[in-house]
Order: sequence, then C-alpha cells, then structure tokens
Amino acid sequence: MSEAVARRPNDARSLRSRLTLAAVAALLGLLAIGQLNGQAGVPGLSALSATELTQLIANLTSGNDQLRNELTELQGQEAHLTDTKQRGATTVDELSGDLDRIKAWSGVTAVTGQGIVITIQGPIGGDGVQDLLNELRNAGAEAITVDGVRVVTGIVVAGAPGELSVENHAIGDGFEIRAIGSPQILTGTLTRTGGVIAQVGNAYADARLTVTPLDSMTLPASDRTQAPVYAKPRL
Amino acid sequence: MTFVLSRIRRLPSVQVTLAIALLVLGFLVAAQIAAEGPRVRYTTQERSPLIETALSLQSQQESLKAAIVEVRGHIAELEALDPNAADSLRRLYADLEQARLTAGLIPVQGPGVAFRLEDGTSGSVDALVSARDVQTLIEELWLAGAEGVGVNGERIVGGTAVIDIGGSILVNSAYLSGPYTVTAIGPPDLYERLQQSVAFAQFVHGRIEAAGVQLSVAELQQADLPAFAGTVGLRYGQPGEGQ
Repeated sequence: MSEAVARRPNDARSLRSRLTLAAVAALLGLLAIGQLNGQAGVPGLSALSATELTQLIANLTSGNDQLRNELTELQGQEAHLTDTKQRGATTVDELSGDLDRIKAWSGVTAVTGQGIVITIQGPIGGDGVQDLLNELRNAGAEAITVDGVRVVTGIVVAGAPGELSVENHAIGDGFEIRAIGSPQILTGTLTRTGGVIAQVGNAYADARLTVTPLDSMTLPASDRTQAPVYAKPRL
Repeated sequence: MTFVLSRIRRLPSVQVTLAIALLVLGFLVAAQIAAEGPRVRYTTQERSPLIETALSLQSQQESLKAAIVEVRGHIAELEALDPNAADSLRRLYADLEQARLTAGLIPVQGPGVAFRLEDGTSGSVDALVSARDVQTLIEELWLAGAEGVGVNGERIVGGTAVIDIGGSILVNSAYLSGPYTVTAIGPPDLYERLQQSVAFAQFVHGRIEAAGVQLSVAELQQADLPAFAGTVGLRYGQPGEGQ
C-alpha cells in the first residue's frame, strides 16, 4: 500500500510528460500540414505581374464564356434527347447533327466559312510555322490548312528552312496558311505590334508574310487516319 | 565535454524527446512565418484583387469543364445503342462513338510515356520551362507516332494553343503551372522512336541540357488521358462538302 502511494507522484509526472509530448506532437503535425498546404497553394500566380494577371484574366474570361455557351448548347441537346426518348421517337436528326458537328470540328469533313489567309514567301523553319499555327489557335481559328493540308490533332509542320514538310508533303518556299474564324480577331492578333507575324518575320528575315481577310473559303477534310489503335476508351 | 555528456545521459528520455520535438517545432514555426511573408506582401498590393479574380475564374472554369464532361456523358448514354434500332441507326451510333473517340472527347488509356518538365535550379530565365518547350515536346511526340497527348490533365486537340503567361502556361485556356507532365499514348516503342528523332535529340541537348531545365521520363504500360472538355463546334464556319 505504501509503495503504491509512493509511486503516485511519479505516475502523475509521467502522465503530464506524456500529455505535453502528445500536445507538442499534435502541434507539430498541424504546422507540418500547414506548411505543406502553403507550398501547394496556387503556385505561379503570385509570381505574375499585374499585366500578366490582366492577360490571364482576359484569357480565362473569354475561355469561360465559350465554355458556358458550349454547356448551354449541350444542356439543350440533352433536354431535347430526353424528351425525344420519352416520346419513343427516333433520334436520327439529333445524332446526324451531332456527328456532322464533331466531324467538321475534328477535321474529318471539310469546313466552309470566313477567315484569313497568310501568304508566306521565302524560307521559313517548321518552328516558325508552328508558332503561327499556335497563335491562330489561340485567336480562335476553327479550321486551318497549311499548303492545302488540313491541320488536325497530331499534324506537325517540321523541317529546316527550305526543307519543310507536313504529312510527307513537301512544302516549297512559297505557300499559304488558311484559317477559318473571325477575320478581325485573327488579323488583329497576328499583326499586332510585337505579335507573331513580327516575331517570325524577325526570326526569318528573308521570309515575307502577309495576312489577308477572306469572306469565304472551303478547307478540305484531312486525309489522315485519325482512329486510334493503341488508345482505348477508358471504362 | 564528458561532464555535459554525462548530464545528458542522466536526463529522462521523455525530456530529451520533448527537447528535440520543441526544436523541430521552432524550425516549423519559423518556416511558416517565412512562408507567410510573400503572401502578406502581395495581399497589401494592388495585385491582390487580380489574383482573387484569377482564382475565382479558374475555379469557374474547372466547374464548367466538369459539367461539360458530365453532360456529354449523359448525352452519350441517351444516344446509346438501342437494341431495337434499325441498321441505319446502329451505324449512326457506331459512327458517332468513333467520331467522339477520334476527336478526343472520350477519356482513353493505353501504353505510353510521361515526361516531366521542370524549371532548372540555376535561377536563370533560360532555365524556366516555356510554352515553346512544352509545344516542342508535344510536336516530337506526335511525330513519333503518339495517338493522344495530355498536359497536366488538359487533352491536346487540333485547336489547342499553348501560350506563355509569366512563368506559367495556358493550355486550352486553362492556367497550368509547372512542373508539367506531358503524357502520351502510342505504340509500345514510342519512346524508342522519339530517341531516334534528330530534332528531339537537338531539343534535349541544345535546349534542355544547355539551359539546365529538368526533364525526366517514364515509360508506362498504361497511361491515362482525360477527355477534351472545351468547345466543340463552329461559329464562323459550317460543315462543307467533301470528306
């Protein structure tokens, strides 16, 4: 009995120590998590200047507007399909319309519309052409051809100046890039001061690039077999 | 020295553990305060509302993309093959499914490679990964036979632009910051094909190694690519004649 009484103060001290240790460990854990979260949060944004943030906001706003329009259209299509199914009617028109839209967008069929033509005279490298294509896409081009070849997913214009090719099709020193989209937006984006036309012009001083709006043109379908062999739908 | 060691040995182990834990706690508190510094600085400046707006727009974009993928999935279910459908309708269903797969509107998986591009540690501007670097890698993957490519969860399609914004990039209008993981699905020898490319070797030696950008690669038995979640449609064009 007396031994048990004598051990009590030691037990109490041990309990206090353990509790203190547990509290410190819990605090350590919380701080470590806070530190990790702090490092993971929005990397990059804080490094952007006010001008870059404004540019980012403009891009996000315009992208979100397009996404909202797409979502509205899809919701309309969904509602119509639901209604059609409930009435037991066939959905041939809807399916055909959807198929035509996807095929045209992905380059499986031809596209007609307004846009611009970039005429290139003189030697230019594949990287210069790819920069032009990238800027056209950024400006909202809906369909593009390079020297008559439709640019779809996976198509790359490559080669040194004088040795350009696209899809095993050799491109000479004089060719056209055609793009369907808003002529004003496409022209404005390409030809702005310090824009891609100026940059490519500086990089390839012997090449002359001109941009001309067109009211109507038809861009052909792609010859490329786009159906994937190795990529399977994820279930 | 011997005196100090003997004193330490006499200390209860709990006290030693507590001392070490408190030492680590001190370091963590200091690190936390140091990490808060830049955040406090920029929130007091004019960029703060811009950052908040950008964050809000990013969040909206993610929600919109998720909603688009969900509605597209529901539409595909509604359009799914009806066992009682006529042959012409069955063909239409199959064509539509194939068109969606080809256009990148369906998530896919298959053998592939994943590259990780990361800013170098030298602090030089040249050592920062640029949109051009990501673009070059994507182009080389296409030329080597890739069937599908994605960057940090964004599917690359015919209309995808990759542009610089500060030290980060925009892909499909989505703001992505490094490190960038470029994933591709293709033939099992995709990486071998890539290594045989003169242009890829020039990119690795002339740009990546020369500037100190970090590039690593993993061959994957099964790579995953998300569906493209952007706009699919024509505003200025319309389907023309000809296949």
